Amino acid sequence: MASLMRWFADPSRNPLAKWHLRAVDQSLRKYGLRYDDLYDPQFSLDINEALNRLPEEVVHARNQRLKRCMDLSMKHSSLPKDLQAMQTPFRSYVREMLAVVQRENAERKALGALPLYQRTIP
Amino acid sequence: MAKGHVLNLARRSHRHSQSISTLPGPPGPYVMIYDRLAEAVKQKLKRLENPEDRFLKYNNPHPKDMIPPPPLSFPLTRVTTLPNGLRVATESAPNSPNMATVGIWIDAGSRYEPDNTHGTASFLDRIIFTGSKRRKKRQLEQIENIGGELFAETFREKTSYYATVMGNHVPLAFDILSDILQNPRFTTKRIHIVRNEILKEFMNQDNHKVLAQTEELIFDQLHATAFQHSPLGRTISGPAKNISLITEEDLQNYISTHYTAPRMVIVASGAVKHEDIVEQVQSKFIKFSEGLTTSELAAEEPAIFTGSEVRIIDDSVPLAQFAVAFKGASWTDPDSTALMVMRTILGSYNKRSVSSGGGKHKGSMLVQRIAINDIAESMTAFNYNYKDTGLFGVHAVAKPDCLDDLAYAIMYEVTQLCYRASEDDVVRARNQLKFSLLTEGTISVAQDIGHQLLAYGRRIPYAELFARIDAVDSSTIKRVACRFIKDKDIAIAAVGPVQGLPDYNYFARRTYWNRC
Repeated sequence: MASLMRWFADPSRNPLAKWHLRAVDQSLRKYGLRYDDLYDPQFSLDINEALNRLPEEVVHARNQRLKRCMDLSMKHSSLPKDLQAMQTPFRSYVREMLAVVQRENAERKALGALPLYQRTIP
Repeated sequence: MAKGHVLNLARRSHRHSQSISTLPGPPGPYVMIYDRLAEAVKQKLKRLENPEDRFLKYNNPHPKDMIPPPPLSFPLTRVTTLPNGLRVATESAPNSPNMATVGIWIDAGSRYEPDNTHGTASFLDRIIFTGSKRRKKRQLEQIENIGGELFAETFREKTSYYATVMGNHVPLAFDILSDILQNPRFTTKRIHIVRNEILKEFMNQDNHKVLAQTEELIFDQLHATAFQHSPLGRTISGPAKNISLITEEDLQNYISTHYTAPRMVIVASGAVKHEDIVEQVQSKFIKFSEGLTTSELAAEEPAIFTGSEVRIIDDSVPLAQFAVAFKGASWTDPDSTALMVMRTILGSYNKRSVSSGGGKHKGSMLVQRIAINDIAESMTAFNYNYKDTGLFGVHAVAKPDCLDDLAYAIMYEVTQLCYRASEDDVVRARNQLKFSLLTEGTISVAQDIGHQLLAYGRRIPYAELFARIDAVDSSTIKRVACRFIKDKDIAIAAVGPVQGLPDYNYFARRTYWNRC
């Protein structure tokens, strides 16, 4: 079962996965976003904590990309072709930090300590 | 028309410029400052997982196999088999200061007795040091006068009599041991005295609940239920009825049937020399004869494991005790080493004792669950091996209100061994097991030699022992656990205020997982 899932999600083996990867790549390029920009700090406080730990230039660059994307979306247009060719949608900057933060929280929980931040559903 | 011509020209030049100038490619990962900084962060995070050598100087977050001691640094155990079948084994320890342990390990126990005289083995073990034909009890205390000690132990499959003395008193020790085993004298008066002692102890156990709350009671009940209808299920001391009916004839019969030369091993360890010991044994231990070997006896009455439970509900005691056990491996089963490693993975825990090493920071996941949630007073995983079977399980003492959580935690961790065994856990358990098997001191060495010669027929050298332990890795653990644990019968014994302990079906359902 596990190996079937792995095959299904692997672009080098499953043509469907390759098609999906290409589709995601093109939509991200159209708006000038990276995949890591889609992580929403309000969806999970872990993402918020991870972004807080990154250097500020990285976070500023992320915010500028998001602003550019919002502007393009409002104008119903997309990034110019030459800029689209320069995009790097799958270059990651937050995934490792997010993994570290989640591991730390899991360790805190396993040791029986209280969490550092909690969220209330308003 | 001119306009259309101009437009065409413009369009062609536009297309031309587009096709000639290639689109710029994506920049490398170190061009923009935010990318450089992100890469630096990733490098630092990777260093977190693999700390520098400075931090690895004394210890390592990931357990590594310990460097084994050189195999030739252990003294050799020399075994000689005499013509009557008696085996003599010695291990001279060059470092031990003139201390020696000499003794006899016999492949006999409460298991091999017939039902009507059951209890003779343990009775004999208590009466044997009260005298022989040549010596009175006073004279047996010679051993204590010279600073030595005499020990006698009886288990279900093994009996041992040994003495620790100074090196130059070894002949005296042999004299005494050979005398009491070959020429024992059981006067009626002495038999009465010992019998009354034993019966009084039994009565005390029934009346005083505190005494009855020992681990022995739980394990006796566990054996009785797991091996019901089989001689291994009997208690070591026997029922009170048999004890009151034992006569001198029974004791002599027992000695002549079970204390036979092929089933005995004479062990000497410490400041001894092999040739001297063999000489002394040959001159003194002459009266032992041939007889049935234990493998034949065990084959006549094999041990049958019955999945069952026994619960003794008793609200007057403050703590509840219970033990859950699976059928385990025999001594000579190739998977017995893997079971030892599994027992070490599960570990042991004691809330009160400071020396139990760590409390909730121990390596075993089961101990962590129990300690963090405070659901037990103490817990031990046990692994008993017998000639043709074994018992593998967990014993716990807890307050009565958290028994269901404790049952869940124990069964979760035990069944987890069938599906997941992380390399870290296995390496840690291997190291702990190897360390615990390195015996020091003449008494433990003698016990080890005697026990190994009876169980395996030879002394296993440390290099082989460590190689066997190293051969157990995570896939072995999973296979052996599936063989002994997954969806197999269990035996449960519980004593105390155990109303909150879940029923047999709860435990039996949790011997397998449907989710993996």
